[in-house]
Amino acid sequence: MHIPDNYLSPTTCLVMGAAMVPVLAVASKKVKEELSQEKIPMLGISAAFSFIVMMFNIPLPGGTTGHAVGGTLLAVLMGPYAACISVTVALLIQALLFGDGGILAFPANCFNMAFVMPFIGFFVYKFIKEKTGTEKGAIIGIAIGSYVGINFAALFAAIQFGLQPLLFTNEAGLPLYCPYPLSVSIPAMMIPHLLVAGIAEAFFTVAVFTFIKRVSPGLIHEGEKKVKPVYALLAVLVCLSPLGILAAGTAWGEWGLEEIQDVISGGKALGYIPEGMSTGFNFNAPLPDYAFNGLPDTAGYILSAAAGVAILIILFKIIGSFIHDKAGGGIG
Amino acid sequence: MDNRLGKISGIPEWMKNNENHVPKMGRDAFINKSILSLLSVISKIKAQDTRKQSKYEANIVVKVLFTFILVVMISVSRSFSFIAAIIVYLLIKLSFMEAKQIIQILKISLLMTGFTFIILLPAAIWGNSYSLVMIPAKVFATITAVNILSKATKWSNITKALKSACVPDLFILVLDITIKYILLLGELALQLLYALKLRSVGVNRSKQTSLAGISATVFMKSKEMAEEMYDAMQCRGFTGDYSTAEKFKWAAVDILYAAMNCAIIAVFIYTAFNEKL
Repeated sequence: MHIPDNYLSPTTCLVMGAAMVPVLAVASKKVKEELSQEKIPMLGISAAFSFIVMMFNIPLPGGTTGHAVGGTLLAVLMGPYAACISVTVALLIQALLFGDGGILAFPANCFNMAFVMPFIGFFVYKFIKEKTGTEKGAIIGIAIGSYVGINFAALFAAIQFGLQPLLFTNEAGLPLYCPYPLSVSIPAMMIPHLLVAGIAEAFFTVAVFTFIKRVSPGLIHEGEKKVKPVYALLAVLVCLSPLGILAAGTAWGEWGLEEIQDVISGGKALGYIPEGMSTGFNFNAPLPDYAFNGLPDTAGYILSAAAGVAILIILFKIIGSFIHDKAGGGIG
Repeated sequence: MDNRLGKISGIPEWMKNNENHVPKMGRDAFINKSILSLLSVISKIKAQDTRKQSKYEANIVVKVLFTFILVVMISVSRSFSFIAAIIVYLLIKLSFMEAKQIIQILKISLLMTGFTFIILLPAAIWGNSYSLVMIPAKVFATITAVNILSKATKWSNITKALKSACVPDLFILVLDITIKYILLLGELALQLLYALKLRSVGVNRSKQTSLAGISATVFMKSKEMAEEMYDAMQCRGFTGDYSTAEKFKWAAVDILYAAMNCAIIAVFIYTAFNEKL
């Protein structure tokens, strides 16, 4: 679910960043209240834990594996605010140092995985736990919470992808970033998550939770006494707010309305794509001339020559390293 | 005692038979994959730690700043010429690096570029040839640029450079702790995974639950480590303030690096202007 750069427009990323700032501010304030001074090492180590959890491959049906995200797990274990901050730090390290997930797309990734996922998962868990009031109810709450959490995160990623062709096109009507509309991006993201990844995540979360509950029950975050349904509604509304900003930000008002319809009607977006957009998609634009247009000819030649030299040096170095390794292996 | 020894010396009949126990193959791809991903993380952290910044390298603050600007420019640009020029620039930078690093960087960026290309193929069939060329090229440029930065510098220097971007000190401390503990918790998880792999021969239904047990153990251990670290910090007089102090002076290399990047910005503006014409 890590969105790389250039799939989303910088504007989208900016909007997502604007949405994340208040979230992180509130989260750090809450964490400060809950954890006092101990928070500093705690936050770093929790972030390291959430990074490590993302390294775990869990078996999926059909012999493949997928990696856990653990957003809801962290929220249940440490509280949603601490989970939000630790996942944010983990995502930053992945983007900046491991090249996993984009730097510009970092706010969008944070929004989906550090905000939507832990908060929605946690609220669903709390709600079910309180309604049932039993141990079993808590487990069911965690299962459903983590399932709903990861699917909501995937849905938001799909919406972010799907809005790109509606909002950002060039003069020829061709999309500048992710070219797939909501009618393609939502099923493409949601079907694997609803059928496979969500179930695997739910199993993993429940298994880790029951293990800790059995071995060291004191470690689990108790949290505030009661969660009012109003807060859950508020959380969902906050989640939806950047979409409103995005829709308002477009120059094409009717398409903005269309997106809201798409968001509400979920997967039923297919029939609503306006005629102009669908023809825009099939638009057989004359192939743009990619051969360094916009630059003088000489600059183009120099660039080509430099590219050739650089590629040759890289190739020789790679080949050289293989020969070197083999020779070293022979002696050793 | 003697009696028992006597019995042992006469080997019972059932022990003399050859037993060929061939365990059924169990599913442990997920263990292997988890081990591999943890190993790659640990090796990356260790590799960057041994790196030394050479005297002739530009200051890290300048590097981080311009890499961010470059990523933004790549994302905004609609000119293929600009992207191509950036790719050439990055290839030149890459050609100055060690072969090992070149392979590592190209592996990641080519993999992601290929992945993007495949994802965009259906759109190309619908007649959208712009995305098919432009987006993979942009993905290649961005990932190569970020990885050149990450591979060529010590990570503690990158986090230090964030300070000049007005990131609070406390956040930098948390980042530093995270990187260190990814290594520690990663090694712990790795040992537990090895133990799980060694102890489960053949089909073992509880393997998958054990994976959850490993994560749970890592979590409990992380709580313990956090408490220990807090105690240790308090013993050494930590009051909650953390500051990193470094003064930045422009050296000749930095000016050269900045000039190079200003030239890139000029090309960006030039191509953007020309595209519109």
